[in-house]
Amino acid sequence: MIFTKDHIGGLIFLCLSVTYGYYTGDIALLPGDEYESFHSQTLPYALAILGGLLSLALLITAKSDLNNKLSLHGYDFMLVSKLLLLVVLFALALEWLGFLLATVFFLVGGYWLLGERRPKTLLLASVPFAIGIWFALTQLLDVYLAPGQLYTQLFGG
Amino acid sequence: MLDGIFTGLSTAVMPFNLMMVIVGCFAGTFIGMLPGLGPISAVALMIPITYGIDPSSGIILMAGVYYGAVFGGSTSSILINAPGCASTVVTSFDGYPLAQQGQAGKALALAAYSSFIGGTIGAIALLIAAPALAAVSLSFQSTDYFALMVLGLTAVAAFSGKGQVIKAMVMTIFGLMIATVGTDKTSGVPRFTFGSVDLIDGISFLLLAMATFALAEVVMTILNGKHKEEDAQLDMAQLGSMKLSKEEVLHVVPTVARSSVFGFIVGVLPGAGATIASFLAYGLERNIASAKDKLKFGKGSLRGLAAPETANNAASTGSFVPLLTLGIPGSGTTAIMLGALIAAGVQPGPRLFVDNPDVFWSVIISMYFGNLVLLILNLPLIPYISKLLTIPRPILIPLILFFSITGVYLVSFNTFDIHMMVIITIIALFLKLLEFPMAPMLLGYILGGLMEINLSRALVISDGSFSFLWERPLTLSIIIVAILILCLPPILERLHKRKSVRGPEVAVNEGEG
Repeated sequence: MIFTKDHIGGLIFLCLSVTYGYYTGDIALLPGDEYESFHSQTLPYALAILGGLLSLALLITAKSDLNNKLSLHGYDFMLVSKLLLLVVLFALALEWLGFLLATVFFLVGGYWLLGERRPKTLLLASVPFAIGIWFALTQLLDVYLAPGQLYTQLFGG
Repeated sequence: MLDGIFTGLSTAVMPFNLMMVIVGCFAGTFIGMLPGLGPISAVALMIPITYGIDPSSGIILMAGVYYGAVFGGSTSSILINAPGCASTVVTSFDGYPLAQQGQAGKALALAAYSSFIGGTIGAIALLIAAPALAAVSLSFQSTDYFALMVLGLTAVAAFSGKGQVIKAMVMTIFGLMIATVGTDKTSGVPRFTFGSVDLIDGISFLLLAMATFALAEVVMTILNGKHKEEDAQLDMAQLGSMKLSKEEVLHVVPTVARSSVFGFIVGVLPGAGATIASFLAYGLERNIASAKDKLKFGKGSLRGLAAPETANNAASTGSFVPLLTLGIPGSGTTAIMLGALIAAGVQPGPRLFVDNPDVFWSVIISMYFGNLVLLILNLPLIPYISKLLTIPRPILIPLILFFSITGVYLVSFNTFDIHMMVIITIIALFLKLLEFPMAPMLLGYILGGLMEINLSRALVISDGSFSFLWERPLTLSIIIVAILILCLPPILERLHKRKSVRGPEVAVNEGEG
C-alpha cells in the first residue's frame, strides 16, 4: 500500500480530533450547566466527533495513487528554516534593540539569506527603508514604539 | 433605495475615501502582479491598516485592493505568463500568446476594458440585488442564521478544490476548532488556553489571516525555489498599440455582455468566487464559439481573453452580495473582509443594511469609482507599475515578510504574536504540502463564533431539540440548499469526466479570488 498525502492528512486530523476531544473534557462547566441543552463543551465535543468522522472518511476514501505520494524532494527547507528563525530573532530584537535596529537587522538578514551579497545594496535597501517606516510610524502616525530594553538598561528609561 | 444611494455617494466621495479607492487599486494592482500573491494575500496585508480607520473607509480600501489585485494578476499573466492569482490563470491562456505576437498593449487594454465593463455591470447588479436580498433577510431568526452559517461553510468547502471536498470540510472543522480557543462568549469560561494568558482572547483573526495567507504564501515561494527564478525582463517598447479596432470591439461585445452576467451570478453563489467564474466563462465561450473561432482559443483569441477577464471582475463584485446581505462570504477574499469588518465592530448580514447604511452603500458606490480608477489611472500607468516586477526577488521577499510581520505586531505590540505567526506558518506550510485548502479553515474560524451563538440560541428556544432544523420552512430550505451544494461537486466532477473540455487544464485552487 502506498502512503499518500491524504493518508498522512487523515491520520494527523484524526489524532488532532482525538486530542481536541480529550481536552474538551477539561473545559470547566458552570453550576447547572450539565442540565442545559447547550454549554461550553457542546460545540467542542460536536467538532471533535465531526473531525474524527471526516478524518476517517478521508483515510477510507484516499486513493493509493503514486502521484499523490508526499515528496519532499526539491524543497528548500533549510532556507525556509533560516528565514523563520530570522523572524523569531526579529521578535527578540524588537524587544531588546527596538524597532529601528531590529528592522535593519531583519532586512539585511533577509536579503543576505536570499542571496544578496553586495554591501551597498544590503545597506541601501534596508537603512533608508527602516528609517522611513520608523519616521512614518512615530512622527506622522504618532504610533509609540518602545525603545529596546537594551537601550533602557544602558541609558535609563 | 435612493436615500441609500445618496448616503453611499456622500460617504464614498469623501476625499479620504476617494484616496482609499485610489490607494487600494494601486496597492492591489502591485501586489496582485507579484506571482504567488493573490487577492487573498493582498487583502490580508491591508487588515492592519483598516484597524486604524473608519469601517466604511476600511472596506472601501479592501474592495479597491480586491479588484486591483485581480487586475494586477491579469497584467502579470499577460506580460510574463505568471498569473498573480488563481482567478487570472485563464487570462494567460490567450493573453500571453497575444503578448508574444507583439500585441501585449492590445491584450492589456482589452483586459482592462473587459474588467471595467464586468465590474460595472456587476456593481449595477449589486445595487439592485443587495438591497432586495437584505430586505428579505431582515426576517431571519437565529435558526435561519445558524442554517446560513452552515450553508456558508459547506459552500466554501464544496467549491474549495477539485475533488477535495472532504479535505476542505476537514479544514473547515479545523477552523471551527481554532475559533473555540479562548474565552467562551456565552459562558465566559476559558477553553483550550492551557493556562496561558496570551490565549485568553483566543487566536486573533489578523494573526491567522496574515500567517496563513501572507506569510505562508511568501514562504511557500521560497520553499519551491521560485525566488531563484530570473526576474521578469520587460521591454516596454514591445508593448505595441493599446488601441482596439472597431471590428475587434464588435467581436468581443457579446462575449463581454454574456460573461458579465454569468460572472456575477457565479460570484453571488456562496463559495464560488472569481476563479471558478473565470474558468466557467472561458469554457462557456469556447463551447459556443464557431469552429473557426474555437481554433484560436489558446493561441491569442480576443474572446478567450475577454471572457475570463470580464467574468472574474463581475464575480468579484457579485461575491459582495452574500457578504453584505447575509454575512456569508462568497470567496476566500471576502471571508477576510468579513473578519476585518467583525473586528471593526460591524456585523455584515441582514442588519448591516439598517444598522450601518454608510458601510453598506458606500462599498457599492465606491465600486464604480474603483472600476474607473482601474481604467483611467491604472491602464496608462501599467508600463510603469509593471516595472516593479523587475525588483529583484531577494529584495522584494524580505520586504513583504516585514510588512506581514509588522502588520500584526503594530496592532498588538506583543512579540508573542510574532512567535505564534511562525508556528501557524509552519503548520500552514505543512498543510499546503499535503494539499489542504486554507480558505475553508479561515472561514470556519470567522463563522465559528457566530455559529455557536446562533446554535445556542436556537437550541434554547426549541428547548434543546434539533427540530428547529425542519420546523421552520426557511431554515429547512437553507439546510436543503447546503446539502445540495455539498453534493454538487461530485456530480459536476462526474459530468466533467464525461465531457472533458479540451484546452489547458489547470486545477482550480482553493477558492481563491
